[in-house]
Parts: sequence; structure tokens; C-alpha cells
Amino acid sequence: MNHAEHLSLAGRALLDRRQFLSNSATALGSIALANLLGLDGLLAAESGGPIIDPSNPYAPRQPHFPAKAKNVIVIFCAGAVSQLETWDYKPELIQWDDKPLPGGPNVTFQGPAGNLARPQYEFRQRGKTGKWVSDMIPHLAELTDDIAFVHSLTSKSNTHGPAENFLSTGFVLDGFPSLGSWVTYALGSENRDLPSYVAIPDPRGVPQNGANNWGPGFLPAAFQGTTMSSKNPVRHLTASGVPEDADRAARSLLQKMNARHLAANPGDGKLAARIASYELAARMQLSVPEISDLSTEPAHLLKMYGADDTQNADKAAFAKNCILARRLIEKGVRFVQLFNGAYASGGKLNWDGHNALKEQYDIHAQILDQPAAALIRDLRQRGLLDDTLVVWCTEFGRMPFFQKGAKGRDHNPDGFTCWLTGAGVKPGVSHGRTDDLGQKAIEDVHPLYHFNATILHLLGLDFERLSFEHNGIQRRLTNVEGKLIPQVLA
Amino acid sequence: MKRATTTVSALLLVSPAFVSAAPVDFVREVRPIFERHCTECHGEKKQKSGLRLDVKAAALKGGDEHAPDIVPGKASESPLVKMVLSHDKDERMPPKGDGLTVAEITKLTDWINEGAAWPDGVDAVKVKDKRDHWSFKPLAVTSGNHSIDEFIASKLKANRLVMSPETDRVSWLRRVTFDLTGLPPTPERVAQFVKDGDPQAYEKVADDLLTSPRYGERWAQHWLDVVRYADTHGFEVNTERPNAWPYRDYVIDAFNADTPYDRFIREQIVGDALGKDPATGFLITASVLLPAQIGKDEPSKRLARQDSLDEIVNNVGQTFLGLSVGCARCHDHKFDPVTQRDYYAMQAFVAGVEYEDRELRTPAAETARREAAKLKPRLAEIDTQLARFVPLAKSGVERAMINARENVDRFAPVAAKRLRFTIHATNSLEPCIDELEVFNAAGENVALASTGAAATSSGDIIVADRHDLKHINDGLYGNSRSWMSNENGRGWVAIEFAKEQSIGRVVWGRDREGKFRDRLATDYLIEVAVASGEWRAVADASDRRKFDPKDKKPVAFSTKGLSEAEAKEAAALMREKSVLDAKLKAASDARKVFGGTFREPDEIHLLNRGDPEQPKDEVVPAVIASLGGVKLDRRTPEQQRRSALADWIASPQNPLTARVMVNRIWQGHFGTGLVATPSDFGNNGMKPTHPELLDWLAQEFIRSGWSVKHMHRLIVLSQTYRQSSASNRVAAEKDSDVRLLWRFPSRRLEAETIRDAMLAVSGQLNLQMYGRGFDLFNQRGGLSGFTPVEKFTPENQRRMIYAHKVRREPETVFGAFDCPDAGQSTALRRASTTPIQALNLFNSRFTLEQSEAFAVRVKKDAGADAAAQIRRAYQLALNRDPNDDELRDAEPVVQAHGLATLCRAIFNSNEFLFLP
Repeated sequence: MNHAEHLSLAGRALLDRRQFLSNSATALGSIALANLLGLDGLLAAESGGPIIDPSNPYAPRQPHFPAKAKNVIVIFCAGAVSQLETWDYKPELIQWDDKPLPGGPNVTFQGPAGNLARPQYEFRQRGKTGKWVSDMIPHLAELTDDIAFVHSLTSKSNTHGPAENFLSTGFVLDGFPSLGSWVTYALGSENRDLPSYVAIPDPRGVPQNGANNWGPGFLPAAFQGTTMSSKNPVRHLTASGVPEDADRAARSLLQKMNARHLAANPGDGKLAARIASYELAARMQLSVPEISDLSTEPAHLLKMYGADDTQNADKAAFAKNCILARRLIEKGVRFVQLFNGAYASGGKLNWDGHNALKEQYDIHAQILDQPAAALIRDLRQRGLLDDTLVVWCTEFGRMPFFQKGAKGRDHNPDGFTCWLTGAGVKPGVSHGRTDDLGQKAIEDVHPLYHFNATILHLLGLDFERLSFEHNGIQRRLTNVEGKLIPQVLA
Repeated sequence: MKRATTTVSALLLVSPAFVSAAPVDFVREVRPIFERHCTECHGEKKQKSGLRLDVKAAALKGGDEHAPDIVPGKASESPLVKMVLSHDKDERMPPKGDGLTVAEITKLTDWINEGAAWPDGVDAVKVKDKRDHWSFKPLAVTSGNHSIDEFIASKLKANRLVMSPETDRVSWLRRVTFDLTGLPPTPERVAQFVKDGDPQAYEKVADDLLTSPRYGERWAQHWLDVVRYADTHGFEVNTERPNAWPYRDYVIDAFNADTPYDRFIREQIVGDALGKDPATGFLITASVLLPAQIGKDEPSKRLARQDSLDEIVNNVGQTFLGLSVGCARCHDHKFDPVTQRDYYAMQAFVAGVEYEDRELRTPAAETARREAAKLKPRLAEIDTQLARFVPLAKSGVERAMINARENVDRFAPVAAKRLRFTIHATNSLEPCIDELEVFNAAGENVALASTGAAATSSGDIIVADRHDLKHINDGLYGNSRSWMSNENGRGWVAIEFAKEQSIGRVVWGRDREGKFRDRLATDYLIEVAVASGEWRAVADASDRRKFDPKDKKPVAFSTKGLSEAEAKEAAALMREKSVLDAKLKAASDARKVFGGTFREPDEIHLLNRGDPEQPKDEVVPAVIASLGGVKLDRRTPEQQRRSALADWIASPQNPLTARVMVNRIWQGHFGTGLVATPSDFGNNGMKPTHPELLDWLAQEFIRSGWSVKHMHRLIVLSQTYRQSSASNRVAAEKDSDVRLLWRFPSRRLEAETIRDAMLAVSGQLNLQMYGRGFDLFNQRGGLSGFTPVEKFTPENQRRMIYAHKVRREPETVFGAFDCPDAGQSTALRRASTTPIQALNLFNSRFTLEQSEAFAVRVKKDAGADAAAQIRRAYQLALNRDPNDDELRDAEPVVQAHGLATLCRAIFNSNEFLFLP
């Protein structure tokens, strides 16, 4: 209870009672405590087993089994990055360039299919493993010895919105809890002065399905991702235009009102929880500006991330988001979602390369590559990668042929690549395979359910046990599916 | 143990008669094999792929994927045997370990070949009959007169508890006013009630509240939560659903009118047959993919259709029946008696529903339609006349800036057989033009393909149903009917007319529907030529105002360069046009509802594992077989199908309908229902805490003619509801969740109620009802980030139910208070407590401005004396006077920092935010 000194009388009374009650563990006590996050009757009763201790919802919670990773950064590339221009080398496409695909589909997602097209970048072998990676992403390419690739993922939708839902929530429909919400629901947070789950939108805009990617669905709102970025801090941190002394006076008057009300209504945990939430908010008012203030970062570090790039504002802004992600992880924030790529824009603002893929990817890769690679290196140098899992993902892949009359590739949910690195991940692995043209996964095929199940597993969570009752159904991140991908585990 | 599959495979071919003398004994020889290898995953705890091998009926029926897994007499055809023999590591069963031994496989195949005899009554586990469940049984009839209090008291007594004393009058008034109307009582109402000596005083309050229009606004919100109402389409584009709100208004009216609940059900399912067009908005409240978002390949289309039908079935099942019917889309329901066939049979009732706007057929809508029809010709006339005043190109007058929506290039009439539009630059990417119109002296568009004109271009990007050269002159507007060049920043398109024309005006745009502003030609040249002649320039961008990408305003009509007389005439036309435009818009708004269109129903098939690419046999409309017998012929017309479904649900004999609704009403008053899982009355749901009370309420509901208001009256006037909310340690230790109702369970107000109450207290609440929702954000839907509206006006200080609800985009301040995002149904709002809520409520512009307004109002009411001001503020917000201590706390704050500081604290106080 090292926060006690920051708290008011009412807040301290609550914490004292928590300490007392967690020892004596009376029924009333655990209710008061559970109320702190509005979790009463949820956690224990939900799953038929005490997955999460309801009497202590603020503290970090124990996973189902010893975890390899404690925290997660998800680098989410919106718009569907082509596997063929990045990680899934298909030399056969070079000789088939501009030839029709015999027996191929006439019409794909956006319309008539054109001829096969070679990878739009040169590939070369990298590192000790000799992994073939394209020149589009030279910095990330240097890290392949530490990465576990899954080349054989499939999605349930070929449409961005539902597919981003599927990647983030395990369901194509709107309204299901996101991966980050599940994780913070299960594990709580190591840091009580910051939100436990932060979503950092791309400087160019939010991804296709917006808030559904970090929404709590039907989980309590406490587990919703809070958006902030180097450009836009958390909303409502301060009351603009209110003099400081008036602000303090309002706060202290509120404390008195609530203390009197609590005294008149003893035994209601919800009231005490609300009082404590104001104490926490006050601490967040201090800690959030501190964490988003990058001025304390040394010049060489800004340079390493590309945050000092004066020629490319989008890259510099994304780099700052990457630094912010590291700072959050450093402070014990459980789950950080770092978006690269915004909404539908004809491929202009995200990875949706339908018409002019090469031209657009030249721009997008500049923004992604150096900052994301620097983030991983920086995490490793600071020892943070020992308990942080880094996930790189995208909602689906792209076709081996161009669209008719265009120089870009259509949506392809039948075989694409995502990868993991960091805590608990087996380094230098390339698992699963697409066919020789990179169109369909043919070996060790993994629907995204498996990928998400594996992420939970690395966090010490059993994807079949982590569940929540909603309208009569025990809901899980992986629906009724799921399977681990043991080949990527260390 | 080595597996010897080849030997065993050979065995399968041997005729059963010769295999062994003694028949295989299931209990002694086969069941142990299942128990050793199979039942861990296919048994009581787990039934992977829907298969279980510990119970006779289930085992012989088989799993989801290849039922039947055991084919008696034919081991070689039994999937079970194939799986244990398989060499494919992904297929072989069991997946871990060495698998079955040769001896075991032999035993198993012999047993199947001998007919798979599985004696009755030997299974260790008894499978629960899914139909044997309280909520599927008829309502239990309780004889004699009863009351809510009697049921509650007797249960308390059985648990050695008693009801708490009655709460004070003011607390009850505040509680019931919030509960029924979502607003606090006024100080005047409080004073009047406290003094009212009439023994019927409580009844009068209840009646007043139930006849207030505020009641419908409050209770419609509960209903909209369940049906996940929103004003956008959801998914990736999340565009505005501009005609959804008539359904929201319908629900408000239905509650206010106390529409009998059975009729309320019928109207929402088949209101088109009952003169209630807006009510069918219910069917299609879900997110849906718009046609342009669905893949052009057939499997994508089939999957999208299945997803949209699934949402309708889910909505019907959860909302009215409290059953998660949707679980049976891929396999029989695990817990409830809903088979996969039942699920598709339910789909067949609604298989003709499309997610579309429908023309309303109400009298008001008919009038609006006639009005609009009259306006249109006059508007076209004005447009033609105004065109005369557009400055000529190359006349030296600066012309309007290029606009993504529509641009006019006027020039002196010239003879032409061909016209070419060349783009030299765009604001981004390849240029795109939705329609190129060329007008002759008679005002006819001679570029239209239908007049015989032909288009050519420098090259095109073709996207099916969106971009194609033919769309340049097909007479249709918008991005989805447009031409796109295949070169970045340039390209040309040319039109050859059917015959030589005298032309004087070209009209073109990027997207006349106003959704797209990219790919706009910012530098262009228009040339004409006679049949054999050279190209001759008639207009270009050089005399237009310099293009400014930040200027997104539609071009205002400019009278620059016109003579005084011309300017006067043009201005008059413009005035008339803007009046007519507004009228037309209002008329159009009033005549459509997003209530679905109805067509010939799709043929519905049972889909293997829910996969539209694996259709099995056709299914006809039928209700859940374990709950009813309604089954329709496959030729039953669309509307009759929905009628039959509605009739079955809205019947007093349906065991679920009344129970589910009275439970929702109970939950609205006590925070938790008698059944704590309001949309799951199935085997997996919670059992009712007071089953007799629930059934009595359900019967009372039906007896009253399904009157929802009757139920409210029973509840709020009961002693149970009138108890104090004070806790006591002894009772709390026995029943911490207050499920037995030994006190009134206090709870935090909901998001909408907090906002509405703040406005009511500050005096800013605008009680205007109905209509198009007000804006919470700078846009009503769309792809990118939403900026909250933080300028407060009477329009957006209406009750929050009238806000334009953007799916999945939480309102900036109140969204954090567990406001549903309308993704999935919210039958029960969780009340969480988070620091983000505290930041929002303490620091937001909304709170600060309402605190100021509250202070202004108080000063007006109470005058300059600080103590009087504090007293008035307490009365308005908390319905009581401050005590001396509270006055002592507040006075110095008010004096030093102003009254608004106190008001801000009050809005954040627990007393304000919790029901008493």
C-alpha cells in the first residue's frame, strides 16, 4: 500500500479497510473491495473457477500458470500489409510476373483480377538464419534472428472492418471485447497511476474499425483501452480555464461532501470505490503528462527512433509514439497497442495497396520501419524484452496478382504473415507456409484464433478458461475455437 | 505401443460374421477404450466438435463435423474409425500420445461391424433433458390474492431476515422520479409531496410520473440498450444511418402510450402490416456491411447475408425470448433445447428482410411526398436559370474555386462534335470524376450515353461496381458510379456526341454525393472540336480562385462580374432555392425509416458448421421445436412468415415472453432482475431468486392486458420498493448482493441520466422531443477520429436519448459511465467505477459550463446571500437543505471561488450520482 500517503482520509480509510479485510476476508469486506472497480459478482461467479481473485481487483492478478511475458506491445498495421512485399519471399512470382494465373479467380474482393505480379521489392537473406526479407524494411529486417514468423495465418473475413474486428476481438461482428481488454481484465495492472491499457493511434488517423479495436465490448468499462499519443494526451486531464486554487477548493469540498455521505451510508462499497477513483484520477493528472513528456529523452535516442526527422513529420510522430510505448511499458502498463496506418483512403494513409502499391508502400515503410525497429532494440537494451512480448500484426494479406488495370494487390484472407518477438518467443523461427505464389496457406494453417490463443498463453493465460458470461454465453477471445502454435514458443 | 494400421485396415474389410465367435461386450470391452482415449475431450466436461462418447444417444448421433461418427454395421464407413486410423497428424484421434493399440482398434471395429450394440441404462452419466427447465414450463398458477411484498417477505423470513424500515418521503420521491423519468424531482414537487396529507399521495406521484412524456424517454433507453440501437451502420465505414431515429421515436411513443406489450412485439416484427412502419426498425438495428463494403466474389456476398440474418435472429431470440438462439448457428445449442435446424428455421421467418430504408406510409409522410414532388421541377428550373449567371470562362473575371462536389464551366456557345477534359494535376492520387455533363443551348445534357454519345479516355482503373469509363456519362452520381484515370495526377476523358451540337456549359464533379474530396482535378483543360477539326480550348483552371485544400465549404454563389440587374435576379433565385432546398430536405427526412424492405425470402438451408459454402437440406420457417409447433409451408409469403413468428412470441401461452419482460421491468427498478441474466433464461442462465413472484408478476402482466405501466405501479408502490437503502452488517453478511431485497439496493445513475440530470439542475435542459438526433461529434459517422462538440446550445442540451448515436464511439464524457456502444446487445449495464470517469466528470467542458449555468440559475432564484445560494443549490440538485456543517464547509468556498465551484463539486458528489 505504498500509495497510501497520496490519499485523502476517505481513500486511506478504504485502503486500511482493504488491508484489514483482506486478512480477515469477511464476506462484506470482499464486496467492498470488489466494488472498487465495479466487479462485484463478476469475476468469481463467471467462470466456475476462481480465475481472478475478486477481493483485490486493483492489484496485478496471477495468471493461470507461470507467464513468460508480463506486458505486451502490439504493433498493428492497419489496411492489410502485403506478405509478398515483406516477409513471405516467393521467387516463383518473378518468373510468373505479368502472366495470368491459370485457374485463378476472375473476381476477387474489389473486382476483376489481373496478371500475377513479382514482389515489388528486392529480397535478400538476413542474419544467422538467412531469412529472406525485402529491402522495403531494412531496419526491421535486421531483427529476424529474434523473430518467430507465422506465415500461414488465415482470417474469417476479406473486408477490413470485420477482419480488424476478428484480429482484435476474435469475432467479425462489432461489440466484442478486444485482446487488450481481455488481458487487463485477466491480469490487472502493475501501475495504478496510469491506465492499464493504452491504445496509441497512428498520427495519420484511427484504424478502420476505430474504437472497436480497443473496446471493452461487454466487459466492464474499466478494461477499455485509453487512447493517447505523443500528439494527443488523455482527455480531461485538467479543467481548462479554472484557476488552480478554485480547482483545489472544488476537490477538497467534494472530498468533504463524499466523506460525510459515506459516514451516513456505511457499508456501501460502491461509494468508497468512487471516492478512491478521484484519488486515482488526481494521480493520473500528474503521471500522464510526465509519461508523455519526451523532452527528457536524450538526442541520440530520438535519432535512433527517427523522432528527430524534420523531413518526414508522419515518421517523426510515429517514432514518438514508439518512444511513448516504451515509456508506458517501462512504467508497468500492461498492454500497449501501437497503430501504424489509419483508415480507408485508397491506400494513402494505410497499407491498403490496391492501385499503386509500390508507390504507397515506399511512403508507409519509411514511417514504420526505423521507429518500430528502434523500439524493439531499445526494449532489448533496457532488458524490457525479457518480460515484454512484441506482436506485429495486420488483418489479412494480399493477392499474388495485381488488380485488373491497376498496380496493386487485392485483399487476401487465405494466407498471410504476422510475427512475435520478445518474452517467451522462440527466436529465428519461420513457421507455416503458403503455396509457391503466396496465395493460400498450405502447411500448418492457423486461423487467427491460434495466434491470439498463443499470445494469451505467453501471458500465462489459458484461452479456454479466460471467459466472461454475456447474455447466456461464456464468451472467450477465441470463440469456441483456438489452439496453440507451440512452434513459436521458446 | 506400436501402431499397426495396415493390419487393422485389412481387418475392416473382413465380414463381421467371421471375425469372432462371441459378440463384443460394450460395457466390458468398448467403453474402457472410450474412457482411456476419448472422453477427456468428448465426454461430460468437454464436447469437442460437439461429440461425446460417454452417453448412448449423443454418441450415436455424432458430432458437428461428420455425424453420425458411428455407422452401426459399417466400421469402414464410420468416421470414428477413420479418425483413429488416420496417418494425418492433424486428423488422427486422439491427437496426443500413441493412439489406440491394434487390439483396441480391432475391438472397436468388431463392435461397430456387429451393429454397435450399446445397451440402455448402462451409462454412468445421465444427460439432462434440455427441455426440463423451469423457464420452458408454463407459468405456475398461484391461487388467491397476492402481492409483491408477500413474496419478498416470505423469502426474507425463510432466511431469517426482515425488510428495512420505510425510507423517508423525499428519498422515495427522488428514487421513483429518477427510476421512472430519468430526472430528479423539482424542489417544488418535493415541498408539495412532503406536505400532501392525502392517503393517495404516493399513488398520485406514480400516476403523474407515468403520464409524463419523460417516462417514455427514460424507459425507451432501456429497450434501445437491449436492441443495440444506433444511428450509424457500424463496421469499418460506420457511416450515418440517417433514417434510424423514427424507430427510436416509435419506442418512446410506445412506452408513453403504454402500448400493450404483446402488440409492441407484433409491431416491431411486422409493423408494416399494422400501420406502424417505423416499428420494424427493430429487425435491423444491428451493424451491417453496406453493399460497397462486401466483396465482389460470391462467397463474400453469401457470408455477409448470413451475418446480417444472424443478427436479426439473435435480436429476436435475446430480446423477446431471453434465449441465445445464435449459439445454434454452427452446432446444436450446448445447453438449451435449440437445435441447429431450429436456428435456420428461425432464419427462414426473416429471410426476406433487407437492411434498407423504407418509404413511410403514414399520412404525414404521404403529405411530405406530395410536397416534395411539387418542389422538384421548380428547383430544376432555378438551377437552369442560375447557370446563366455563372461567370464565363476566360472572361477575365475570377471564377469560383474548384469544388469536389460540382463545378460549372460556362463559355460562349460553340459548335462541337467532340469534347475533351484533360487533367494536369490533382489534390491526390489518380483523378476521379463521377459524371461529366455537357449542355447544349436547349439545356439538354448531350454527353449522356443514352443520347448516343461515346466516351474514350487515356486509361482507366476499373473497380467493379465503382470505377469504370462507362460511369463518366451514365447519368449517375457518386463515387460508386465514377471514372478513374490509371495515372497519378493526370489523364483525359473525351466524349463524342451523336451529332454536332452547339454547347455552352460543362458540369463536372468528383463526388456529387459529397463523401469524397480526394482525387480531385485541381488543374484541367476543356477543349472542343468539330468532326474533323483541331482541338480548341474553351475553359481551364487558370482563371479560378487558387485551390485551397483546407477550404471545404461548398462554393457560395457569387454575383461578382454581373450587372446590377443580373445580380438582383440571381440573388432572388438563390434565396428561393435555399428555401426550397430546406423544404425538400425536411420532406425527405420525414418520409423514410430504416425499417427494412421486404422481398421474396431467400431459400434457407441448414449450413454445416454455419458455413454458407456448405449448405445442407432446405429448412422451412418453424419455431423452436421444443417450445412450440408453428411450422410454415416453404411457399408462405414473406409478411405472413413474420406475422406467424410474432403471433407465437406474443402469445400468453409462450412460457418465456411475459417472464422475460417482467424481469426486465423489475431490473429497471432494482438494478438486478429476479433472474440476474436478463437475456438468458436458458439452462445456463441464473435461476430466479423468487420463482413464484416472477410467475405471479408474469400472470399479472398478461391479466392487465400486457400493461407495462401497471407493472411499474405495482412495483414502485410496494413496500419492498419503499424500503430504506441503508445497509446493516448482519443482513449484509447473509445476503451481500441484496438479492433478497432486505433493503432497497442503491446504485449509480446511468450515463444518460447523469447528463440529463445535470442539465435539469442547471436549468439548461431543452425538453424538445423527437426527430433527427443532435450531434455529439463534429461528424455523424465515418472513418476517422471524432472530435467532440464542446459548444453547448439548446439543440444539444436536449435529453441524451435524442443524441445521434455513433456506434462504438463512446460519448466523450459519459461514455465511460458504461454507456453501451451498440455493438452487441446490452441487457444489463455494468456499473464500473474508474479514474477516467472521475477525470471526465470533474474536468470536462460540459461539467464546467453546466456548473456555471447552475450557479447563474441559483443566483437568480436565491439572490446575493451565500447561505441562501447554497441552500437553493442543495435543494435543486439533492432535494434537501444543507445542514450547518455543510453550510460551514461550503460558504468560504463560495465566497473565495464563486458559486460555480460548489456546483462543480455537487455534480461530482456521490449523493448526486447515486439513487437514495
